[in-house]
Amino acid sequence: MPQARKVALVSGGSRGLGAQLVSGFLDRHYQVATLSRTKTTFITKMLRARKGQHFHWGAVDGRDHEALRAFVKDVGDRLGRIDVLVNNAGIAMEGILPTMRMRDIVEAVEVNLTAALVLAQACSRFMLRQGCGCIVNISSVHAIRGHSGVAVYSATKAALDGLTRSLARELGPRQIRVNSVAPGYFDSDMVSDMAEEQKRRIARRTPLGRLARIDDVANAVHFLTSDQASFITGQTLVVDGGITC
Amino acid sequence: MLTAPTLAQIESIVHGRIRAVLAERVGEVARLSGTDKLSATLGLSSLDLAFVVAELEAELGVDPFAKLVSITSVRSVGDLVRAYQQALFPELERSGDEHAVAAAVRRAQTRRTRRKRR
Repeated sequence: MPQARKVALVSGGSRGLGAQLVSGFLDRHYQVATLSRTKTTFITKMLRARKGQHFHWGAVDGRDHEALRAFVKDVGDRLGRIDVLVNNAGIAMEGILPTMRMRDIVEAVEVNLTAALVLAQACSRFMLRQGCGCIVNISSVHAIRGHSGVAVYSATKAALDGLTRSLARELGPRQIRVNSVAPGYFDSDMVSDMAEEQKRRIARRTPLGRLARIDDVANAVHFLTSDQASFITGQTLVVDGGITC
Repeated sequence: MLTAPTLAQIESIVHGRIRAVLAERVGEVARLSGTDKLSATLGLSSLDLAFVVAELEAELGVDPFAKLVSITSVRSVGDLVRAYQQALFPELERSGDEHAVAAAVRRAQTRRTRRKRR
């Protein structure tokens, strides 16, 4: 009898790293559910190609806690389980704190942190009942090193790493693993506004001599969610070419 | 559940879930009392309680701890039973005497039955 497909839920899977993760989990024979605010070309293409087979998408705003919970419940009830949660959705919020608008601060905390908490709580209910599961929080090197102009973003990402460590202890006894992946700068919408010279400077400072590719980051997530990482929990895997070492 | 549970059924379901967790740990538990302390008497951990809550949400379709009740206020088996009874029959919280409670339960059950028929 063929084994039932595992279920992965990826937040913010409509573009960039999230879209890469969605494709990667489908390639690994998962059923994949993702949520995003808007239906991008990638989502439209996937929905058309998959015809509802193993791919599910929901239009959910990460600031809407009830909608997040409802999405998780719907996925869990329809697909029968949730094996993996990747808290990937996030927004870059640049600007120094003294002059940042309060509503931008609140939005960054809501999308980058509170949504991850809500999703982790809702998914952990299914994982507790299954007696297994895996959560990966997408953090950032900004959680590890201070940089001017990203104080709010850094705070939300460092909070995710704190969540990772404590949740790993809370859920470990039920065989639920929780880890973070902290990427350095990689080719994504978040660095699209960065000047070429700035990108070259980061590459020069990076021991491996380049920015990360999306694959570099996605591969770390797939490793942590695989059985090969079955004894790894509560850790932050930094994928930055050595820039923070 | 296909039909709305009664107060007694809710108690029985909650007891059943607790007993199932205890059975994994220490073997069969004959009977639970409402005054049994979840942690001090029965030895349930916070994670055990979270597991029970997840199971009950799946079975009863409600999570009293999402908004109504703080999980830290639940100390005994009876506290947990009451949290679910109040979540399924909100009238209980507002009603004092037994007749009012019984009437509230009847009204709630009638409403649920009507909703299911629609």
